[in-house]
Amino acid sequence: MTVNEVLNKVFPLGSKVEIENNIVSGEGRTAAGIVQIIGTCNNTVIGVDEILALSVKFLEVMRENPGRPVLMMVDNNGQKMALNDELLGLNQYIAHLVKLQDMARRNSHKVIALVYGNSIAGGFIAFGLCAGDTYALEGSNTSVMALPAVARVTKLPLEYLEELSKTVAVFAPGVKNFYLAGGLQSVWCDDLNQCLENALKEDQCSDMRSRIGMERGGRSAAWNMTQKILDEQ
Amino acid sequence: MRLKTFRSYFEATARQRVAGVFDKNSFAELCPPSEQFGSPHLKHFNIPLSFDDGVVVGDVLLGGMKICCAAQEGRFMGGAIGEVHSAKIVGILKRCLKKKPEAMVFLFDSGGVRLQEANAGEIGVAEIIRALLDVRYAGIPVIGAIGGSCGVFGGAGIISGCCDALVVSEEARIGVSGPEVIETNMGVDVFDSRDRALVWRTCGGKHRYILEMADDIVENSMEAFRNALIKLMKIKKTYDLAGLEKEHEILKKRSTDFSDCRDGFDVWRKIGFSDVEKIPSLTVEDLKAQQKNRGGVK
Repeated sequence: MTVNEVLNKVFPLGSKVEIENNIVSGEGRTAAGIVQIIGTCNNTVIGVDEILALSVKFLEVMRENPGRPVLMMVDNNGQKMALNDELLGLNQYIAHLVKLQDMARRNSHKVIALVYGNSIAGGFIAFGLCAGDTYALEGSNTSVMALPAVARVTKLPLEYLEELSKTVAVFAPGVKNFYLAGGLQSVWCDDLNQCLENALKEDQCSDMRSRIGMERGGRSAAWNMTQKILDEQ
Repeated sequence: MRLKTFRSYFEATARQRVAGVFDKNSFAELCPPSEQFGSPHLKHFNIPLSFDDGVVVGDVLLGGMKICCAAQEGRFMGGAIGEVHSAKIVGILKRCLKKKPEAMVFLFDSGGVRLQEANAGEIGVAEIIRALLDVRYAGIPVIGAIGGSCGVFGGAGIISGCCDALVVSEEARIGVSGPEVIETNMGVDVFDSRDRALVWRTCGGKHRYILEMADDIVENSMEAFRNALIKLMKIKKTYDLAGLEKEHEILKKRSTDFSDCRDGFDVWRKIGFSDVEKIPSLTVEDLKAQQKNRGGVK
């Protein structure tokens, strides 16, 4: 689905976005009020230029509409792999964008990420996983690395990895596996407007992902490990 | 005697770094290898476990002050971030909120997310970032050190960009996609990863220091890192919107100033260094002196 097709379903009361260089920005109307829309489209890669454009949108909403909820529309094919972006310090640019999302949440904005296309590797960390809550649309795609590439790096046969991916959620690509590991709060389907209304009610105060991952059986060790270190005298 | 006191930070293991950088015999490791918390996932890949999962965390003293620390072990799977590895780091960060140390010090050495447990590692990076920013928001500085064989790449590079301050050595490398990854995906014409000098001019410690991505650059020794960390932990930066607005202006200016640069040499020349060809062979002291004379990037 295109970004506008998804937005029409999320905001039946209406939404309006502008798209420039694969950066999406605008507003959507809900029963509870206006939601700011900040996103990307066309499977863009997240480089320095994309980050600066997205960062400006976060700075604007914090300055001009304090407390207004933000819906991040996520679709990327990962971080940009280019010498110039690395030369400039892409890691610091991504960190900047991530801090802005974090600061918006601390300043009482609900920050909701919806993966509606792809979200991959450094692109998913830059724009998706560091929101207050992260969701994915049914049929979207989240991954760190495709299995053929994992096979090359780990020197294991692709057939073996494909078989393993059916039972081991922790490494295989896919929305279902990210959901099981606690990385996605829920997967949106059917009434997308209701999904958004529900998401707006979450308090986003604490990070419960490792606990959720344990409860869903996709990430069994993390929560206890963290608690053990926290609780030791 | 220099020979007696010089101990390479680059060559050291995570535990040697903890012992060499922080106050003698002050380290209390949490969930040490004797408790056998390895990765539950590596068995599927026929990879032997490490009972610390490649990261050491605990309470320690630095210059007599109570701090919390994490040190990544680059020799185990390239310091890669998996489920237990990230959960230990999240644990020590959350512990900071409870114990209120003078600082949190992070000795990085990691190529990023561990592919064998990619989803857990990727989510783990996001959890580390959120917990790290909680620590900063609480007014406890988070200081990073980079000078190990793996540098910081991928998710680890992004985490390092969230710290209050960084100290690097010349041997440090900081980035998101490593040179080999860019070459594999985009072709050798885009980035020749075997050109080591180009790699260092693109993501090496000196370049990062010149760009002011690192607050200090030191020679490759335990003492030098120790002294720099003691200085940096006194820096109090506030984590707030005004600070991020300032950061935005710096990053915007950098991207405009150096948008046509394809090599560290181009950047350094534009900044105003003379004799850029000599920078790779400058001592750390000489580089710092030149940086100071220039008055920084601003």
